[in-house]
This record gives sequence, structure tokens and C-alpha cells, in this order.
Amino acid sequence: MPLDLIRNFSIIAHIDHGKSTLADRLLEATGTVAQRDMQDQLLDQLDLERERGITIKAQAVRLSYPARDGLVYELNLIDTPGHVDFAYEVSRSLAACEGALLLVDASQGVEAQTLANAHQAIENDLEVVPVINKIDLPSADPDLVRREITEVVGLDASDALLTSAREGIGITEVLEAVVARIPPPRGQPEAPLKALVFDAKYDAYRGVVVYVRLFDGSLHAGTRVRMMATHKEFVVDEVGVFKPVMTPVHELACGEVGYLIASIKNVRDSKVGDTVTNATHPTSTPLPGYRAVTPMVFAGIFPVDTADVEDLKEALARLNLNDASLVYEPESSAALGFGFRCGFLGLLHMEIVQERLEREFSLSLLTTAPTVEYRVRLRSGEVITVDNPELLPDTSHIEAIEEPRCDATVLTPSAYVGAVMELCQERRGAFAGMEYQPGDRVQLSYDLPLGEIIHDFYDQLKSRSRGYASLDYELSGFREADLVKLDLVVGGQRVDALSMIVHRDRAREHGRKLTERLRKLIPRQLFEVPIQAAIGGKIIARETVSAMRKDVLAKCYGGDVTRKRKLLEKQREGKKRMKRVGNIEIPQEAFMAVLRMDED
Amino acid sequence: MTVHASSAPPIAAGLHPGDPAPRSILEEVRSLYVHIPFCERKCEYCDFMSVAGTAGEHEYVAALRDEIRVLGRQLPGVRLETIFVGGGTPSLIDPELLASVASEIRCSFDVAPGAEITLEANPSSTTRERARAWLGAGFNRVSIGVQSLEPDILTFLGRVHDPGRALAAVEEVRAAGFESINCDLIYAVPALDDVRWQRTVQRIADVAPGHVSCYELTVEPGTPLHTAVRRGRVTTCDPEFALVQHRIAMETLAAAGYAQYEVSNFARPGRECRHNLAYWSNAYYVAAGVGAHGHIPAAAAPALGIAAEPGAVSTRYWHGRGIAAFVAAVRDGFVPIRGSEPVGAEMRERERIMLGLRLRSGVSLESDASLREARDLAAAGLLVLDGRVTRTTRDGEALLNAVTLRLTSGMFS
Repeated sequence: MPLDLIRNFSIIAHIDHGKSTLADRLLEATGTVAQRDMQDQLLDQLDLERERGITIKAQAVRLSYPARDGLVYELNLIDTPGHVDFAYEVSRSLAACEGALLLVDASQGVEAQTLANAHQAIENDLEVVPVINKIDLPSADPDLVRREITEVVGLDASDALLTSAREGIGITEVLEAVVARIPPPRGQPEAPLKALVFDAKYDAYRGVVVYVRLFDGSLHAGTRVRMMATHKEFVVDEVGVFKPVMTPVHELACGEVGYLIASIKNVRDSKVGDTVTNATHPTSTPLPGYRAVTPMVFAGIFPVDTADVEDLKEALARLNLNDASLVYEPESSAALGFGFRCGFLGLLHMEIVQERLEREFSLSLLTTAPTVEYRVRLRSGEVITVDNPELLPDTSHIEAIEEPRCDATVLTPSAYVGAVMELCQERRGAFAGMEYQPGDRVQLSYDLPLGEIIHDFYDQLKSRSRGYASLDYELSGFREADLVKLDLVVGGQRVDALSMIVHRDRAREHGRKLTERLRKLIPRQLFEVPIQAAIGGKIIARETVSAMRKDVLAKCYGGDVTRKRKLLEKQREGKKRMKRVGNIEIPQEAFMAVLRMDED
Repeated sequence: MTVHASSAPPIAAGLHPGDPAPRSILEEVRSLYVHIPFCERKCEYCDFMSVAGTAGEHEYVAALRDEIRVLGRQLPGVRLETIFVGGGTPSLIDPELLASVASEIRCSFDVAPGAEITLEANPSSTTRERARAWLGAGFNRVSIGVQSLEPDILTFLGRVHDPGRALAAVEEVRAAGFESINCDLIYAVPALDDVRWQRTVQRIADVAPGHVSCYELTVEPGTPLHTAVRRGRVTTCDPEFALVQHRIAMETLAAAGYAQYEVSNFARPGRECRHNLAYWSNAYYVAAGVGAHGHIPAAAAPALGIAAEPGAVSTRYWHGRGIAAFVAAVRDGFVPIRGSEPVGAEMRERERIMLGLRLRSGVSLESDASLREARDLAAAGLLVLDGRVTRTTRDGEALLNAVTLRLTSGMFS
């Protein structure tokens, strides 16, 4: 295929702005998928993606489009995850394209994540084509959205396309714009192979399927390739394209998008952002932009039934085959037994992993409060990183603790500016700027601790802005803060799984809320149960669960001992769902309580 | 658990007895419970097997005697130290029928001299003449279902007697020559306030039976009371209110010279119910009659037609609750047992602790895990520990179930 007839593009959109529906229409209109095989969100293959209407894994599909100019073009659509957790994957998918459709909901307007992704596309020198979608809705205001795109995103939106993906309006115009406005790839077909890995998935039968975009050279079965970042070499078994099912081809040519299979056993060997080259005639320089993805959020995952720990290990290993960004190592807790300390890209990623573990592997799990990675400077001069409150050294050894900070952008209707600012202040945010945007909207910039963002910040933002505010953030670095470890002591026993690292100024409030919440969750026991929150042994909050006074004085005569025993056994069954810590039986919900601190 | 096939009359169902058990394994079996299921009417709260009226009493007693005879034959070597004829209302049936049951027991089993032989009686079916007949038949202890001395409470409970009749019954039984008398009382009844409850206990103490049982009203599934509670017509007592009344009984009876020897049972010295003590000390007991529950060494189970279970130490078994089926089963040569449960060593230990903790004398703890738990509970003031023997304190007794679960929690997976 001549380079002039190839177009590589992706769709940038906020959740719910219609990206998957538009992709579905493009597939239909080009006859890539027959009408009868069509199903909604065709590119979202995971059940979870369909259910939640989100894209987790990137997908690529080749469309064959006979344009109005009489030529048949090869259009490669790369569908990217839209969530901030997967920002790096998005950046690599964008790097694989020459252009992007910026899809904006005609009544919702530009959202924070759209903005971030659009800027990323512009920085990557992509041709960005604005598309205003859902114009069929009564609340649609395309003119306002056009102004917004021009002023907020900084793109000329005068020629923005108007579509309704749901109604099939403007689909041909979109395809024509892709051909006319997005430049064809450039590259040297005769140069050594240089291909970008923009995703990889594990197939139980084929091993790892690597998604690639060829910048220089060509690729076919039998080629010995080298992954330039991991230095691993493989012999290619098969190359092919997605139509959208995997279809082998003789060769992937310069400028094309497709997949390669090379008996790769582990997704870690083909990292997103890596450059694939020919092992015998390698290119001298890899493609720019590769970086190892590191987890930002950490939490312990424990099986509810301690006997399931092996199953959990197996499940994590299976999930990890497909998700290289998930990291985990064994952890043991006095309260929860054996489990795993897991690192995630973000909260959504954490939720997705937990949900997939529970759903696809039928596990019942308990997740401890998420935490970020802190840098701890010790008096000895040593600097360590701590992602588990349990591993924080004794305060006497600590010189200072640094926490990760973020540049956060919130886009909100002006009516909620006060509420958003209040939330950011509560979360120790430093105000960095405010800009008024068309359509009565405000862009707020804050410097916020990542540790505060992962604790329910997004839900709070949504609830305080009636769902209108949107958030984007980017890690900006580490900064010293007065952080302390808050311990929960239940019945005289410290419960390790409930410890958390918080700012000293907020510790008392956290302690009070947590003890209060636990008092409501822990049932009366044989003993009075004091619930204390402590910092380094100093009690800062206390609640008490008073002791049970009576637990059935029932009669026992007539010789029917069996029944009496069974009644007692039933009571014991109920207790199985409790975790016993020292003398106290703690229900499972209590361990989740820390996650939902701001609910009441 | 094994539940044997059940079927409605006239097709009888039961077990085919095996060979009689060897005498040597039955030395520890020293109690017999016999059930008489007839009542004047069903009480609102009662979930024991009973029917209103005495229709069919002759047929039933004939079948019961047959069963007693079979049990005696299959379980040779049993020497009875306690016999309890309960119900139902045994006092309601023809005294001659009761005498025939008593003599059947003497013919079928070796009854030890000085054995405790209790008859359950209701005030409404007690007269001095009847009491004399019971004494003549060999009964030496009568347990009277007084329940309350407050007319409205008796009505609420569905009892057919009034307070005067209850007190008269105690006098009649005593006048007939019974030295060992128990009065059953019920507390935590809606509308029974603490003052009236204390007065009831005091009046009973004044009448001075050797033994008093005070039971908390419990709402059992399948009873009219249960239905009334479910439909919101009756509101049950607050558990702590029940605890207060329990303690009122303890203090009133203690002052009158009654020692509490089990959660709900109080006795003058030497008047403890030896039969019930057998239950609480996890001892064996043979059972006869509809609805009755027995507990025998596992090795003796095949003699009653119950399949031997590997690992079982003892066997609990029970009868069905239908009188006609019971009669038909016995007529057709079956042992009229409807269900059984093998009790392994672990379960037996759990039951021993569960039952033994009810006693003021306490229970010895054999496992170190239990002992460890007991130390924690003792530190919290819920148990007293004397070597390996433990008993509940006043606070611990009120939390008996929770304490039992604690002491047995380490013993099972």
C-alpha cells in the first residue's frame, strides 16, 4: 500500500461523549463489520468495558474506505483508553497516529480530560479534527461548543464536523475528513525496521500479541526482531491486521498498523512505547518517548477467606499476563492474613483489577485503603520509598517525608467554583490559577498531593458539582510535608490493615471519623471495645463499643441437645465473616470504612 | 445427620432392631425419658410434642409400653438412676395408665434403689387422689407447671389454671406424700412487670417446694406465640429486661435458701433434679415415646437399628412427632425412631462444654485452646477458672452463648 493511501488516526473523547459509538459507525460504514455481526462498543472486548462504557485496552482496526476521490484508502483507527490512569498508553497510541478526531459532546462541551488529551495530540504534532457529536440532542449547542474548542483547546473549530453517531449523521463526512485533513504517514520503506509498540495483549494460544505501528522499514514472518528497551529478541511467527478480528498478512509495510506474534511469553517483554527493530539490521536510534510505566497507587489485596490466597496469586499472575502495569508482591497482615501488595496506575485501574479478579476468578476480596508512594529521608541520610503505611520507619529515624504532588486541572461551570475550591483547599491544594472559559466555565489549576486525590477526591468533586466538574492531573514531583502514620487500635490491639499516612493537620479529623465509623460497624462483643486512633502512641480520638450484656439465657431441657447445638453453630457461622484481631471480632466492612471516609 | 424415611400412617415407618447391645457398653446409661403427648390444650408458647385432649391415650400407652419393652430388651444392663415422665401433660392421663407405664419400666429395666422418678403435672389435672395414685405407682418427684401466679399472665400463656389452683396443686401433691416437688415458672412475659414477677417467685418460695425452675419465655418457631409476634400482635421483652427478671429470681430464691445450680434451676440442698443434671453433664439417656430425644453410646446404636457410623462416640436419636405413625410403627415391629446423629469426639467435646457451662459447678476444659480463651474471659470477669475447671460468673452467665462460642472456637475449623 502506497503511503499516500494510508491514514492513521485515533479518537480523543471524554467518557460518554460517544467515542465507541462513533467507532461502531465507522466500522459499519466501511463494511468492515457486516451489519449482522455488529454489536455495540465493538472495540471494547472486555465485559467490564461494555458495562461501564469505558475503554481499558487499546484496540486497532483497519478500515478500507473508497473515498469520493475514487481511491481506496487504508484507514487505521486506534482506539485508546480515555482515563487519566492510562495517560501513558494514550500518549503512545497518539504517537502511532498522524491525526486525531477530537470528539466533543454538543451539550456537555470540553472536559478536563479531553483538554489534556487534545493538548497531548497537538504536542505530538497530530492533525486534530474537531467533531461535535450528539447534535441530535435537544440540549445540543454546537456553536457554543465550537467557541469552547477554539478558546479552551486552542484549535480552529470553524470547520468542526457535526455528527450524531447514534443516529448515523455525518459519518461519511468524518471519513472524508480523515482522508482529506489527516496527513499520510511519512517514512522510509527501505530503512531498517522501526516500529512503535503501542499495546500488547496476552492470548492463551498465541502468546503475546504486540500492537505495532511501522515508522520505517517493513516486517514479515521469519524476521528476527529486537525490542530495543528490553533487549529481548524474537523471531516473528506471524504479522497481521485487525479487521477487527486478527487477520494474517504477508507483510506489514512502512506506515501501517498491525500486530506481530513471536512466541513472546510475557507482556513485560514487549513494553508499551518500546521500539521494535530488525535484529540483524537494527536502526541506530529508537523512537522517542519510551518510559517505564510505574504504579502510582498502592493497596493490599487479601482474600476474604484466607484459604483462597493461592487462588488469588494465580489470578493475579493471569491478569498480569495482559496487564504489565499491574505490579504485586506478597504481603502479610496480622489482621488480614496473607495477601498481596499491589501497585496500580490509578484508582480506576485499581478498581478494574479488583473487579476483574472478583468477576473472572470468582474471588471474594478485601482491599485496604489505597496509598501513594512516599519518599522518606532518614536521619542516616538514606532515602527510602514507602508505599505501605506498615513499612514507615519509626518517627525517630525520619528526617522528613516527601509526598508526590500533582498539577491538577478542574473544569467546572462557574456556579461550582466555590465548592471546588473548598474541596481543593480541604485536600491541601495550592491554588495555581483560574481562567474563565466560554459557556460560563472556569478552568481551575491546583497543585494537589496525589495522596489526597486518591482518597475519594473524584467522587467528591462530582458530588459537589452535581457531576459537572471534570478533573485531570499529572504528577509534578515530590515535596516535603508534615505527614504522620495514623494507627487504629481496636481493643488494645493495633490493626495493621487500618493504618494510613495522613497530614498532621488532618489526622485528628481522620481519626475522629474513622473511630466513629468503626464504632458503628463493630458489633457489641463480650468485652467493652475501645476504638482509638493514635499517632505514634499518642491517642487522638477514642470511641467505645459497649459490651454485650445478654446473649440468650434460653432453657435447655427435654434432651434435644442437637437443636440447641445447631442454633449455636448458626451463630458461629455468622462469626466466620468476621476477622478476629486479638480478642475482637471485626466485620469485613470495617476494613473498607477507611476507603469511604467522606461519605458522612 | 441421618434422617430416616418418614411416611404418614397407616404405613408405619421406623427401624428394624439389630442384635441386643452388649451389656458392658451400657453401664454408663442411667437415665430414661418417657414422653406423654396429651394436654388439655396447647399453650401459646409450647413447642414440645403434644396434642389437645386424651383421645387415643390407651392405644398410645400400649405402644409406648411396647417400645419400652423393646428398648429394655435391646439395651440390656441399663441400670436406671433417673426416670422422667414428661410431656405434654402426663398428669392428664388416667393414673392407671401411668402406673402401667411405671411398671413396664420396672419390668424392662433394672431400676436402682433410690432412683429419682419424676412425673410432670399441671395444676389443672392434679388432685390429691391422683397424686396418691402417682405415689403408689412408684413416682417420687412431681414437677408442677405453675408458670405464673398472675391471672392475666396465665391467660396470656394459654394456661387453663388460675393462681389458686396452682398453689392448691402444690399442697395436694405434698399432702399425698411427695417430698420432692418442683415448680416451673416463666418470666420475661409481656405485661409481667418486675414487681409482679418478684411477688410470684416469693410466693412460690413461701410454699417451699424443694426445687424451682425459672425459664425465660422464648418465642419458638411454629408456636401461636411466634405467629402473634410475627404479626405484630405481641411485642417481646427487651433482652436486658429479661436479664433483670432472671436476676430478680436469683436473688429472691437465694434469700429463701435455694441455690442456683444451673442457669434456670434452683434447689434446696439435695433437691437438684438428677435427671436434668444427666443432660447437662452430657450423660447418656434412653428415650421412649413420640417426640422424645435420646443419647446413647454409639456402639449401642445398631441395637436400635441405627446404622453404625465410623468415628462416632455417641449417638443422638429422636422420635417423630406424629402419634398415629408412632403407634403404627410399634405395631408393625419397628423401633419408632425417625432420626439420628452420630456424635464424633470433637462434637461431643463441644456439646460437653456447651452443656457443662450451664452448671454452677462448671466444666473442665480439656484442650489448651479452650483454656487460653478461658483465661481471656476470666480476665474480663466472665469466667472463674480453677485449674482446668471453669464456670461462668454472673456476667458470664448472661452471655452464655457468646462465651460458649469463644471456648469452643479454637477447637474447630
